[in-house]
Amino acid sequence: MKATSVKVFKFFSGFFLTLILIVVLDKSWVINGNRLPPLGKFLDPFHGFWHNIKGKNDRGPALEKIPGLIQKVTVIYDSILIPHIFAGNDEDLYFAQGYVTATHRLWQMEFQTHAAAGRVSEIIGTGKDGFVLNYDRTQRRLGMVYGAEHTLEEVMTNPLTKMMVERYTQGINQYINSLHYHDLPFEYKLLDYKPEAWTPLKCALLLKNMAQTLCIGDKDMEMTNALKLFGKDMVDLLYPDRDPVGDPIVDNPGTWNFNAVTLHGIPPALPKDLINLKKDSPSDPNLGSNNWAVSGSKTKTGSPLLCGDPHLLLTLPSIWYAIQLNAPGINVMGASLPGAPAVIIGFNDSIAWSVTNAQRDLVDWFSIQYQNKTREKYLLDNTWVETRKVVETFSVRGESALYDTVIYTNWGPVTYDQNFHAEKNQKDYAFRWIAHDTSNEFTAFYNLNRARNHAEYMKALDHFSAPAQNFVFASTTGDIAMRAQGKYPVRRKDEGKFVLDGSQRSNGWQAFIPNEQNVMHKNPARGFVSSANQYPVDSTYPYYINATHYEAYRNRRINQVLEKNNSITVKDLMNLQNDNFNLKAMESLPLFLHYLDTTKFTEAEAHAHKILRSWNYYNTIDAEGASYYEAWWDNLMPLIWDELQRKNLALTNPTTFRTLELIKERPDLIFFDVRRTPQKENAGDVIRQAFSLSVRGILDWKTSHGTQTVPWADYKDSYITSLLRIEPLNIHIRHGGNHDIVNANSRTNGPSWRMIVSLEKSGVKAWATYPGGQSENPGSEHYADMLERWIRGEYFQLLFIHVPEEAKSKMIYSTQLDPER
Amino acid sequence: MKLIVQILFIAVAGFILELFLPWWSISLAAFAGGLFVRSSSNFAAGFIAIALLWLLKALVIEMYAATMLAEKVAHIFMLPGKLWLIIVMSFIGGLVGGFSALTGSLVEFKK
Repeated sequence: MKATSVKVFKFFSGFFLTLILIVVLDKSWVINGNRLPPLGKFLDPFHGFWHNIKGKNDRGPALEKIPGLIQKVTVIYDSILIPHIFAGNDEDLYFAQGYVTATHRLWQMEFQTHAAAGRVSEIIGTGKDGFVLNYDRTQRRLGMVYGAEHTLEEVMTNPLTKMMVERYTQGINQYINSLHYHDLPFEYKLLDYKPEAWTPLKCALLLKNMAQTLCIGDKDMEMTNALKLFGKDMVDLLYPDRDPVGDPIVDNPGTWNFNAVTLHGIPPALPKDLINLKKDSPSDPNLGSNNWAVSGSKTKTGSPLLCGDPHLLLTLPSIWYAIQLNAPGINVMGASLPGAPAVIIGFNDSIAWSVTNAQRDLVDWFSIQYQNKTREKYLLDNTWVETRKVVETFSVRGESALYDTVIYTNWGPVTYDQNFHAEKNQKDYAFRWIAHDTSNEFTAFYNLNRARNHAEYMKALDHFSAPAQNFVFASTTGDIAMRAQGKYPVRRKDEGKFVLDGSQRSNGWQAFIPNEQNVMHKNPARGFVSSANQYPVDSTYPYYINATHYEAYRNRRINQVLEKNNSITVKDLMNLQNDNFNLKAMESLPLFLHYLDTTKFTEAEAHAHKILRSWNYYNTIDAEGASYYEAWWDNLMPLIWDELQRKNLALTNPTTFRTLELIKERPDLIFFDVRRTPQKENAGDVIRQAFSLSVRGILDWKTSHGTQTVPWADYKDSYITSLLRIEPLNIHIRHGGNHDIVNANSRTNGPSWRMIVSLEKSGVKAWATYPGGQSENPGSEHYADMLERWIRGEYFQLLFIHVPEEAKSKMIYSTQLDPER
Repeated sequence: MKLIVQILFIAVAGFILELFLPWWSISLAAFAGGLFVRSSSNFAAGFIAIALLWLLKALVIEMYAATMLAEKVAHIFMLPGKLWLIIVMSFIGGLVGGFSALTGSLVEFKK
């Protein structure tokens, strides 16, 4: 009897110990703020992350039964895993695009839409110092979901775009529903969560995500503070609407012969506010893009050539997913955004197009005057109008839900208030953003993907509102064109440059520039069109234009190179996309060197001086001169503009170009004085100080890296960021270029999709590469298989076919998707 | 000898169950091995069987791997390299196998 109970006790001890062990290893734990994956589940080589490690020549299935398809669909995969989808109708085409994209990018598309919607804390928790939750709150308070809902409303009223997003959504969900734990993308396993159902709203959120990247930047609060602190004259001196330099995108003085919309009434008065606030999403001046098209009269083959090169934060998985879509009436190829139907940048049998950001100011902040502390009513045209209070819920992982009340006005949401970034802010400002408005970019892409000529390209673009883009165009019929398309409010001088008084409707956007009056041109005499985020148009254009900043260097370099070559080849354009010439350095380094006092050099300074003097202004991989120059510049800007670095006060630096101009023209400007030193500095003094600082910095760098030289690529240390920002998943690369250079690879940003299209009548040819790969799976050979060529400035000739049989030996496998009956 | 039979039983049963069931099915295999094929050291048998099963599976995957993901995961776990990751993995599998086999061996059949 006694022996039995000991045995029973032993059994149950063992049983419960085993059970506890399994439960512990099956669950994700947070230790010291870091979330550990469930160890047993994650490390199990049969189902855990090991299952995501694929062998070489890993192939998908040859046949899949897919409920929801109408006809069979054939998908050909080429050597870099680009899918070529052949469908019998549009419904199946977009279904298959959703399904195939999800097989390679499911985690990314969901994560990016979660990020857009302010839901990352559901996956990751509050993050270090509440960083993730703060990010989510910002997203909601900027009205990201609000804007996406507006766009979706319009998308759903158009039967065509409704079909597109619904079929795309069904395709993604078909894939999600087929998944078992072991099939889940790596990150779901690492963070221990599951994909939720895709919805059409997520397609709209993805567009807003792109709009946020490209056109949410503004400097209204920064300009308002500068106005208060330094006065209007100084604001005009530091922040002119345009730098007096270079080639506007369209330079057609005197040809703008239309009746421009004019606004009546009195322009809003300049504000006197001082805004004690640090905004959460300052615009990134390193984002930008290049595109151009060369007419057949300037190319060796006689056919037009078109280049596209959007510069974005370089991430893994890559922002773009290359794809070919073929169905009756459509045969298009190019870069798509995982999470949105259609091709965004690409070409078909007749035309090619690409985009650069138009930069224009599409944001305003309106001061709100509440009736009382309840914030239930605010003043608008002499009456008290009700606000709308939206309670945002944050289902923070591992914690109780957080609720945040956001106040909406007619202008938009009040982003920063007593509950968010309260700092010492006295006033509330409502956020007005073009991407809050209804729009239907999917109509534009549906039609652009099928456009056969310039007229159809123009018609397609009429549907495109935001983010405003410079659409370059070329066709096999020999046309080239450029159009800065977007929905732009009509503004009077200085309007929208500062915060506005929100108590009067007349201060708002009263009219928009009609589409046909947007900046555009076709077949200009110089034989090419180009854009690189510079100021868009000559001074005779009748509308007032401003932006956070316009680019001043890449555009001139591109035009100089295109101008002098009248027999342009694809190879020439590959070289131009990878061009490392530093025009900024050529225009500033001689001046900088002139200011140095060679008699007072340290040994290291003398060495740096020697290298800089013999440098050829190319930011190539091994150029030491580039390292010294860029380090010098990076030390100089903060010294000059130290007056603008204030705690809890939004201010912004003048542009690079303007700074250099001021050094030349106003060397005694008070801003050259360094505030923390007792003596009074001028431009020459800060240039010398910055030189000494940068040489010391490079000396330290050499010591810590145990080397005698400082090659540019090593000093810059570019890397491709993992979307989760986990260092072991980042890939560091050696690459030249920098911001302000045609090859715009700064440390983290750069050319995210390099494309060259030759529009030959006998058949369109295209070359492309991007810094990543088609698969989001870090265990797949296609995770970053294009990176190597991208680094070397080499391309893949894209397989562009008309029937599956054409692929022949160029395909690695094909999958037939059969409707299940 | 019995120990070797027991190890083989658990490893093979674990392999088959893992084809259909989640990771914790190794526990069922080891439990059955402890229950039906008893030896003098049931814990060791369960531990060795599952540790070996997982080790072999991981090695086969690594042999054909096209990428360095295992190395990267090791670094995410702040381990020096993938060898350490494989050791940790085998130990965890072994622990579950060991306790499960031990528990199985503690079941008394009523005669």
